[in-house]
Amino acid sequence: MKFSVYRYNPESDSEPYMQAFEVEQRQGMMLRDALLAIQAQDESFTFRHSCGEGVCGSDGVNVNGSNKLACITALADLKEPVEVRPFPGRPVIRDLVVDMSQFYAQFKQVDPWLIHKDPMPEQEILQSPEERDQLDGLYECIMCGCCSTSCPSFWWNPDKFLGPQALLTACRFLADSRDQAKEERLDKLEGPYKLFRCHTIMNCVESCPKDLNPTKAIGHIKAIMLKDAI
Amino acid sequence: MSRRATGLRAWFLQRATAIYLLLFIVFLLQQMILNPPQDFAAWQGWVAQPLVGLGLILFFASLLVHAWVGFRDVLIDYVHPTAIRVTLLTLAGFILIGCGFWVLKIIITAATA
Repeated sequence: MKFSVYRYNPESDSEPYMQAFEVEQRQGMMLRDALLAIQAQDESFTFRHSCGEGVCGSDGVNVNGSNKLACITALADLKEPVEVRPFPGRPVIRDLVVDMSQFYAQFKQVDPWLIHKDPMPEQEILQSPEERDQLDGLYECIMCGCCSTSCPSFWWNPDKFLGPQALLTACRFLADSRDQAKEERLDKLEGPYKLFRCHTIMNCVESCPKDLNPTKAIGHIKAIMLKDAI
Repeated sequence: MSRRATGLRAWFLQRATAIYLLLFIVFLLQQMILNPPQDFAAWQGWVAQPLVGLGLILFFASLLVHAWVGFRDVLIDYVHPTAIRVTLLTLAGFILIGCGFWVLKIIITAATA
């Protein structure tokens, strides 16, 4: 199977280039296996990966134009030559490895933890099954970054727009019955940038390997905000 | 405009005006297809009806607000140097306000002639 892979080593290359590789395809082979095979051919080829089963979120790459997790992308579903590039819009450190620090900084901005103001009870804070259901589709995010790095609004304003991943997380804590910082969370999202750069392009929904829906979560935040304002 | 107004309010105004624009365009198309004014006097008579005149003024007001929010969004997304953004925003603001007064004058003149 033919591959065209993005290569860039800032220490030796003046600019990035695409390199052709050929990998023998076995049945059930995933893209991550092919990248490992490429690495066996050229050990200087660099990419991130860890669990190999779509849980850790390390091996997000841009494949034939869309962001995917290499470990759960079957080679059989890909058109040849398979073009593998780093996430778009992120500074490239080397080959497929990009600098995600802005992405993590945006995540940190939404205070991604429970804020409970009442004195902590002796036991755990109980939730009804219905309250727990509110978190479904929000808590499963593995922070691979496929969504935020496919979002044009995040490309244009990655320093000011939180991006779909951080907004999904913001919604996760707004929806949590045990959280008591709704007002502060909403206030933090105000202004034209943090939340409202989202133009419902829905690339995030398209690219999420966990089939989550950040666009819906963003709409939910806007609805909460509107209800809170009138 | 307070800081709070720039996010939620702009977004809400864009949605609200969009709904009115859509409804009024349907009404306008239906009028122009089913019952088109035959001459200038007939058109004047149509605009002179208080509800139509008011509806038209509201339509253009919505259109200008909608255009303002949309244009501002485009500038925030794509135009990052402050000086160019401020210049373009100010220019757009003047043009939109100018269009507003112009259209108001047309409707009032037509309705009172």
